[in-house]
Amino acid sequence: MDNNQKRFVEDALDLLNELDEGLMQLEANPEARAPLEQVFRTMHTIKGGANMFGFPNIGELAHNLETLFDFIRQGKLQISDKLISITLHAFDKVRDLFQAKDASKILESPDITEHITIVKTFVESVIAQSPEQTEFSGTRKDVLASFFIRVAPTVSLTVDGNHALVFIIKDVEALGTSKSYCYNNNDGTVAHWDIFLSTTSTLAEIESYFLFIEDECKVITEKLYGADLFESPSFTAFIDHFTKAPVEVEVLRSFVAGLSGELDQDAEEESELNGNFAASKKTLNDTYVKVSKRKIDDLLNWISELIILQAQLTNAASGINSQALLEVTEHMEMVTHRLRDTSLEIGLVPVETLVTKFKRLVRDLSKGLNKKVNFLSEGAETELDKDVIEVMSEPIMHIIRNAIDHGIETPEIRRSLGKSEHGTIKLKAFNSSSFVNLVISDDGKGIRRETVLKKAIEKGMVSPEAQLADDEILSLIFHSGLSTATAISDVSGRGVGMDVVKQKIDDLRGYVSVKSTVDKGTSIHIKLPLSRSIIEGLLVRVDDTRYVVPLNMIERIDRIPYDGLDKNNSVNKSILVNEQLLNVFSLRNKFHPGSQPPKTTDIISISVNGVRRAIAVDRIEGKMQTVLKPLGAAYQQQDFIAGSTILGDGSLALVLDPSRLFQSFQ
Amino acid sequence: MKKRILVVDDFTSIRDFVCETLQKKGYDTVSASNGAEAYKLLENGETVNLVLSDYNMPLCTGLELLKKIKSNTSTSKLPVIFLTTETDPGKMKTAKDAGLSAWIKKPYNAESFFAQLEKAMANG
Repeated sequence: MDNNQKRFVEDALDLLNELDEGLMQLEANPEARAPLEQVFRTMHTIKGGANMFGFPNIGELAHNLETLFDFIRQGKLQISDKLISITLHAFDKVRDLFQAKDASKILESPDITEHITIVKTFVESVIAQSPEQTEFSGTRKDVLASFFIRVAPTVSLTVDGNHALVFIIKDVEALGTSKSYCYNNNDGTVAHWDIFLSTTSTLAEIESYFLFIEDECKVITEKLYGADLFESPSFTAFIDHFTKAPVEVEVLRSFVAGLSGELDQDAEEESELNGNFAASKKTLNDTYVKVSKRKIDDLLNWISELIILQAQLTNAASGINSQALLEVTEHMEMVTHRLRDTSLEIGLVPVETLVTKFKRLVRDLSKGLNKKVNFLSEGAETELDKDVIEVMSEPIMHIIRNAIDHGIETPEIRRSLGKSEHGTIKLKAFNSSSFVNLVISDDGKGIRRETVLKKAIEKGMVSPEAQLADDEILSLIFHSGLSTATAISDVSGRGVGMDVVKQKIDDLRGYVSVKSTVDKGTSIHIKLPLSRSIIEGLLVRVDDTRYVVPLNMIERIDRIPYDGLDKNNSVNKSILVNEQLLNVFSLRNKFHPGSQPPKTTDIISISVNGVRRAIAVDRIEGKMQTVLKPLGAAYQQQDFIAGSTILGDGSLALVLDPSRLFQSFQ
Repeated sequence: MKKRILVVDDFTSIRDFVCETLQKKGYDTVSASNGAEAYKLLENGETVNLVLSDYNMPLCTGLELLKKIKSNTSTSKLPVIFLTTETDPGKMKTAKDAGLSAWIKKPYNAESFFAQLEKAMANG
């Protein structure tokens, strides 16, 4: 820490004490104006100082808290216990770090990052609540828009001169992705600048840069489009034409309007984003309690027991002809389901908590590798189990690392390909039925299938004669020991990574798939079950044993004569089911040979990593919701069985893991 | 003669830092911790070439100081610059209308900072 930083820290510690004092007063007397102003100003000072003396993370934290207290000043938010404790906790952490007087520790503190996330989430919830969202200028920082700025000095100046305007132009260019041209007069003085800028700043913010220099220049600012035009190759190619002569504003406008085909998708995405944003309104006046994870786990355990008991009760009640009893059990079933849903939500946290971490990673890595990368997130309010988030954090970081290292090209290459210099990495989260989906996509160079296949053949993972579908080739990247990087870098490329990613996702009973187009980019789709213990399943019977097939994997069910299957093999290649040739695995042939087979067999088609397979069972008994119970140690090796469950009549059923089933017995 | 700049900021470490930075560049500095104190200095005949002030300060904000300076005929020619974390375009417009010479955002870019300082002093 240098002397200036030390002095700042000393002063800031004093300020923090004043801040505590002010917060206490506010807590005791929420309507008081004086302590509110004092708290607001103190935060403002800490923000300014922290940014100035090289602690941008503390600056960001103070900025977000300042935003909250500004809402209170504007009457958009009430003082609440939650607000006060969030603020106190955040600054307690800052105080601890300041007292340690270690600049690098302060900058790398994960706690600060976490507090920033908490405060940001709060800010967003306030904004979502407010009907007049537009008034919160500059708070939705993730939305990019594209602008055209033309600045013509009315005084004589040169581009290498010392005029303030020259530096203001530089400041404006630094607001985001930009491309600018400076056109000179014949005498070498500047005629005007044209700047194409894609930024999260608003038009008013951009204009404000020129406010104090308006006597010396004429400025035209125009919002071109509500998204990043640099993502459009035809736009970047278009603006490359103006090295000699400036673009005519009319031509530019009509060009952007004509991009509609290419941009429609963006616009749609944007409106979808706004839609999600509006839908994510949360109840603000909620109060919060901290509960230990163990208590939640206990609660969930008891609820899963209750679900089993409830199923037994329904079963028992159906045997007794009592209208009153049936009514009660039906009602109880409903309440149990509600209870289950609510309790599952307790342990959920928004994906947002990960986003800050990723932003930081993207920033640091792209700097280290001299690449320009934007990180965008979408649907960050989507909730996931806290445990799952913790487990997934590493794998996703690895995917992002790969995307920056191998996916996104250097700015020079990107320019030569007609792409924007800035690559984009996007994390999109959304719910679909009982799954949470995470899609990590980049607009880099994509994965070359030939290269992957060649490597895999070299390493003996695939036989040279094998006929593999595109998807199957891409899935090879999840094998251990396969890295297509030509040079092994510090960041990734050791080839131990994607297999671990896959392993972790498998452990969570999730799925992962890759899509990639050469020169367009790669997207990795991770699908995770919402809950780790409760599943929807199809109850089936083979001989006198019952199995549960997870419902989410099932595509269709057909009934064929049992004679259609080969009686001696458990795996039947190419059985014609519904006019499609499928590989069918017969549970009966594998586990129940010898007993008398039924006349027909039900074929359950499922999708395993995008490939259709089928399981043959004797009979389908029905749909059920069930609680997954782990099997004892003796069965741990049988990983094609995900667990067991107790049925309504008290008997046991085995829950199958179809993808592992096919892996084990292929 | 060295140019003299009045630095106004309620936060000591920032004020000291700014003063030191200016001194290294060859300016003379005098400092005050809020608008009221700064204005008193000016009223008592302190002569400076520029006032470099924070925006948000207790007792007397930068804007109030600016208005006082501009409404007093003996100081109205004195250029005032805000050095602040505040970025609200509305506030910037108000300050501009009140006679502010430049609005520099913290943290600043050194080249841009000195260029704007010099420009303000040349015009004032």
